[in-house]
Amino acid sequence: MKSIYKNTIGVLLCCASLFSCVEEQDFGQYDELNITPILEASMLYVEAPESLVNDAADAEVISRNFNFDAFTSDLFSERVIDGTITYIAENTTSKQMDFRIEFLDVNGNLLDVEIFAVDPGQVYQRDIAYGSAGESIEIIKNTSSLRVTATNATGDTESVSNLPDPKIVLKSSGKFRMRVK
Amino acid sequence: MRSSPLFFMALFWACFAMQGQNKQLLYDFTEIPQAAMINPGMEMDFQWYGGFPGLSGVMLQAGSSGISVNDIFADDGLDINDKVRNRAVFGMDARDELSGTLQVEFLNFGFRGRNPELFYSAGMYLEGDAIGYWFQDYAILGFEGNADRLNQRFDADHLKTRGELVNVFHFGINKKVDRDLVIGARAKIYSSIFDFNSTRNKGYFVTTEGENNIYASTLSADMALRTSGLNALYDAWEEDDIARTAIKRALFGGNLGLGLDVGFTYHLNEQTVLTGSLLDVGLIYHTNDIRNFTLQGTETIEGVEVILPNSFEDPDTDFWEDLVDDVNEFMPYEENSDSYVAFRPTKLYTSLRYNFGEQIPRWGNCECTTNAFRRSFRSKFANSVGGQLYMINRPRGPQAALTAFYLRRLGNVLAVKGSYTIDKFSYTNLGLGLNLQLGPVNLYAMADNLLSYGNLADSRTASFQFGLNIISWGG
Repeated sequence: MKSIYKNTIGVLLCCASLFSCVEEQDFGQYDELNITPILEASMLYVEAPESLVNDAADAEVISRNFNFDAFTSDLFSERVIDGTITYIAENTTSKQMDFRIEFLDVNGNLLDVEIFAVDPGQVYQRDIAYGSAGESIEIIKNTSSLRVTATNATGDTESVSNLPDPKIVLKSSGKFRMRVK
Repeated sequence: MRSSPLFFMALFWACFAMQGQNKQLLYDFTEIPQAAMINPGMEMDFQWYGGFPGLSGVMLQAGSSGISVNDIFADDGLDINDKVRNRAVFGMDARDELSGTLQVEFLNFGFRGRNPELFYSAGMYLEGDAIGYWFQDYAILGFEGNADRLNQRFDADHLKTRGELVNVFHFGINKKVDRDLVIGARAKIYSSIFDFNSTRNKGYFVTTEGENNIYASTLSADMALRTSGLNALYDAWEEDDIARTAIKRALFGGNLGLGLDVGFTYHLNEQTVLTGSLLDVGLIYHTNDIRNFTLQGTETIEGVEVILPNSFEDPDTDFWEDLVDDVNEFMPYEENSDSYVAFRPTKLYTSLRYNFGEQIPRWGNCECTTNAFRRSFRSKFANSVGGQLYMINRPRGPQAALTAFYLRRLGNVLAVKGSYTIDKFSYTNLGLGLNLQLGPVNLYAMADNLLSYGNLADSRTASFQFGLNIISWGG
């Protein structure tokens, strides 16, 4: 029986030699973890045919306030860090078009405005940065609607483009860095 | 025999120190009654046994196949953001898993019938089991986002998880058919305390070049999360009554199911033994306290789209609200309380064992006995060596583990089993099991993955198992 005890204790000592250790872990690193994905999606697409340019009562082809609650939703506004809005304007009419995009808050107050002109038959792209490297991100956070205006810069209502399916198109997308953690 | 308190303390310490026990160590360890729980056809020479309630069988196991705590939180001077990105987000794939099992026996006893060839066992144990596969595409989307990942599909199937807490009532019969063959079966009634599963998700999210606008975002989903019992437990937790609710659900107050274990032991010759078992072939029918969540449909959006002149026909049109309504219509998120069936994670064990060395007479099996049945058992050998295969049915298909083992018996008092196991968690899994028989008192403790204990935080799997029984071999 003595030998049994000896063997048992031997086994236990073997186990003891393998007793688990835990190297020092620094769980405080969790505080330094930044989860900031960059999300990208289309925002607003507006298309108007040349006939609308010619049918307009004055040079203002489009003038409309579009509700855009995506930016003011808590999910977005409380987490957005910075980002870029890209506009692509296409003009296949025969007239220069002036685009005006106004950022309005929930009370209709003007927060920011982007203005650009697109010559006939041209495609124009503009990237506007918001955040530390651009305009204030607060503009985006407080934007509740977008007012889009497209004006025939020549002041008349006659466009006679020889391009197929002539129209004006405004495309836009947002690319924003969000703080998840 | 006089046992010193120090020895018991050492053994008790060993139970906890030797973390990392695996059931491959318990399998076919015929000195331990709980081994019959993983092979109801185990060769048993007990007259009767009874487990200490709550202590007869305790098993904890946790594993991660892709990453360890040390990989992320080691004090190594590296930026945690780089470690998470390189080792987790992009370092693991959708087949990597995090899983855990808990088993606590509350009642386990067995006795030989009037027909000595039959051995009956019964009891009750609590089992918790959960597995979650690495949700790789969700992690990439959450960590990096979809920007600059045009046409990359984020797979909804990467969400695959299941878990449950179930109380199991069991009754088993073990029959010694002849000198070579023992067979056994165990019927089980499952009383589910809670269950959740989300294992059959399909779909994707992808950003592509838009048809009109700059980008098109497409979400296609056929996803479901089914739960039972969680609502009742949550309500009970809010009312500070969770213990009573859990016990009620454990004692047939939850959802019920049926299951079966079968197994055998066959002596190929005097020294070679083949064993096998199939466990938890069964299901639970969840009918009460069900709460299911579904997301089904396909929708592509390119932002707010306004095409004139038609879009301005109604001056009050809210294009943003129309967009939100369209998404909700084509991608409905719904809840229901439909009953569902959940299959148990079925396990398969098989082993081939070769016995050699000194022959050890069994307890109560001396030449003087007149008990012919008892004498029909072969003597044990001092040494056994062999291999085992373990498989379990998981949501992404069967997982397997191969084990080589050596078992050494020192009389009928002490038996030690060492093992080497290879599975998806580790290629260096060495284990050690110890069984001690002090008169009628049976103690066992087992642990595996011992090499990782130099730094447990760097271990991807850890488990331990221990138990305490009273065993009688009769006259």
